[in-house]
Amino acid sequence: MLNSKKDQRRSPAVLAVLIAIVALALGVAACGGGSSINGGDTESEEVKLEGKPSGDLTISNWPLYIDEETVPDFENEIGVNVAYKEDVNANEEFFAKMDPLLKQGESGGRSLFVVTDWMAAKMHELGYLQNFDKSALPNFEKNLVANLQEPEYDPNREFSAPWQSGMTGIIVRKDLAPDVKSICDLFDPKYKGKVEMLNELRDTVPLVMKCLGIDPTNAGEEDWLKAIDKIESAANSGQIRRFTGNDYGADLTSGNAVAVIGWSGDAVQLQADNPNIEWRMPTEGCILWSDNMVIPVGAPNPTAAEAFMNYVYDPENQAQIEAEVNYVSPVEGAKQVLLKEEPEIAKNQLIFPSKSFTKNCTIQPSPTGEEEQNLNRAFNAVLNG
Amino acid sequence: MRRRVAPYLLLGPGAAWLLLFFVVPLYYLAELSLNSGVFGSYEFSWHWENYSDALQLYDTQFVRSFVYAGLATLFALLLAYPLAYTIAFKAGRWRNVFLFAVVAPFFTTYLIRTLAWETILSDQSPVVSVLDFLGLAPEGHVLATGGAVIAGLTYNFLPFMVLPIYASLERIDERLIEAGKDLYASAAQTFWRVTLPLSAPGVVAGTLLTFIPASGDYVNAQFLGSASNQMIGNVIQSLYLKQSDYPAAAALSFVLMAAILVLVLVYIRFAGSEALMGEEAV
Repeated sequence: MLNSKKDQRRSPAVLAVLIAIVALALGVAACGGGSSINGGDTESEEVKLEGKPSGDLTISNWPLYIDEETVPDFENEIGVNVAYKEDVNANEEFFAKMDPLLKQGESGGRSLFVVTDWMAAKMHELGYLQNFDKSALPNFEKNLVANLQEPEYDPNREFSAPWQSGMTGIIVRKDLAPDVKSICDLFDPKYKGKVEMLNELRDTVPLVMKCLGIDPTNAGEEDWLKAIDKIESAANSGQIRRFTGNDYGADLTSGNAVAVIGWSGDAVQLQADNPNIEWRMPTEGCILWSDNMVIPVGAPNPTAAEAFMNYVYDPENQAQIEAEVNYVSPVEGAKQVLLKEEPEIAKNQLIFPSKSFTKNCTIQPSPTGEEEQNLNRAFNAVLNG
Repeated sequence: MRRRVAPYLLLGPGAAWLLLFFVVPLYYLAELSLNSGVFGSYEFSWHWENYSDALQLYDTQFVRSFVYAGLATLFALLLAYPLAYTIAFKAGRWRNVFLFAVVAPFFTTYLIRTLAWETILSDQSPVVSVLDFLGLAPEGHVLATGGAVIAGLTYNFLPFMVLPIYASLERIDERLIEAGKDLYASAAQTFWRVTLPLSAPGVVAGTLLTFIPASGDYVNAQFLGSASNQMIGNVIQSLYLKQSDYPAAAALSFVLMAAILVLVLVYIRFAGSEALMGEEAV
């Protein structure tokens, strides 16, 4: 305080320097903003392959989504040096990180990454993905399971190759909630404060639509909002304890929750750890989704990326991954391999579901554009009370 | 000459750090908050509606955040003052042990400490049985209620309250307290008229260090609260990472910053800036 006089004399100079630097930053930003954005071109370029796969390959995938031997085995067999990063934790978060790079036609050194259907569709729409050169993907052409060959967003599988698929349905504590069999049962007041739902718009809302008798595949904004309303009143009444990511596992184990909306792969793991936890295929059916390998624009060494994709579509190699991660395999023939090696996994309906098991299930729907924004807003208003 | 350069040299690294990691990001955030459009194609357009939307859509969470943070600050103060007082005046040779105990939780991460509360307050835990018996758990569970969120906030920010209060108590010249006694003041009078005013800077600093981060916190509400206990930090997080509505999230962040700034200014004005600055400023 005693020095205030001196401070006052000097501060304009300091201020001037600060302003100058901020102005500089503004200028830099303006330059950055001015560069071209190649969004919107739906005609994606095809990757350019170069001879035999070699060199370095960087892959981004979700955590705990591979067998630890898969990458070393691939490196030995093909002669490629792999940096395998587990840095995809959520589609939206990964997109936020990648968007500024992809906009400039760069991938941050990544040759391959794995995102969920709707995100792959969105990235393709923005011109962020390259089409495959299928000449290097014979295993993918031959072994992709039939029901995943023609998704609506990529009918010829030109830019997306399923890594793993999964089902969203109900996981219960069978000792505490023996009679929960449908999504509608989750709204039974008997279980007030003991029900949890996923904080994912595209998992939770379509399932609740099914309870309301609405087919999520052809649902319009009104239908989504109807389901969101139902969820909201259940949240307000205290029926729904909270909305979770995959931390519902801890609540089921402790008994804080007795019935939740959850993912099939988690259910396999939770069942193995606690015999009281059980997957229930909702009587209304489940939601089917896939996480997909995609090659972004600016990907270095796409040759090696395609070699990796082809490698994991070999049934033997796929079986190795499948025995570890417990989601639904997109590769034909992996089941036959596992029948010999680990029959328990091969016979598990959550890992190799039969047609009759998933007969009422729906491919995960995804709203787009303005509708997506409105629904996101409505759903998150429920999540945040 | 040297006297004139030295302060700038000393300021330099800190200022450069703040400029690079605070001012520049803040600028980008400001720009982002004025974008419009839909996810994937946001464009800068002086879209001030983001700000009015932020206030209109999320006023509930704003109020809730400040109520929770305020209560957590109050509880932390009620817990911290006697604790700091004991450590400063009564702990004797145990003083350092107690101080260490206050700081010890920082050796584990914030997230783990919060998750520990999930276990402590789990529906089957003895703590909850006792609370239920006493009628303090009207919903039958404690987790996923506002009470759990406030308890978590109080616990997590308690050391930020204890340490400044301790520091200001510890500096008090004991002769002043003795003088109070000599002048026939009772113990209570000495406390109210000597000790408490002299420790006010610590109380003000502690409440600010607790209230400011607590009002922006989202971890406690996420793990210990239900949908109707989410705070403004959760809204910002979900706008960014779930809805990918970056402009709205940026605008909301600015509104939060401004709101905290205003509250703090009012508080300092009310509490008196002398208390904050210490006796040197008087």
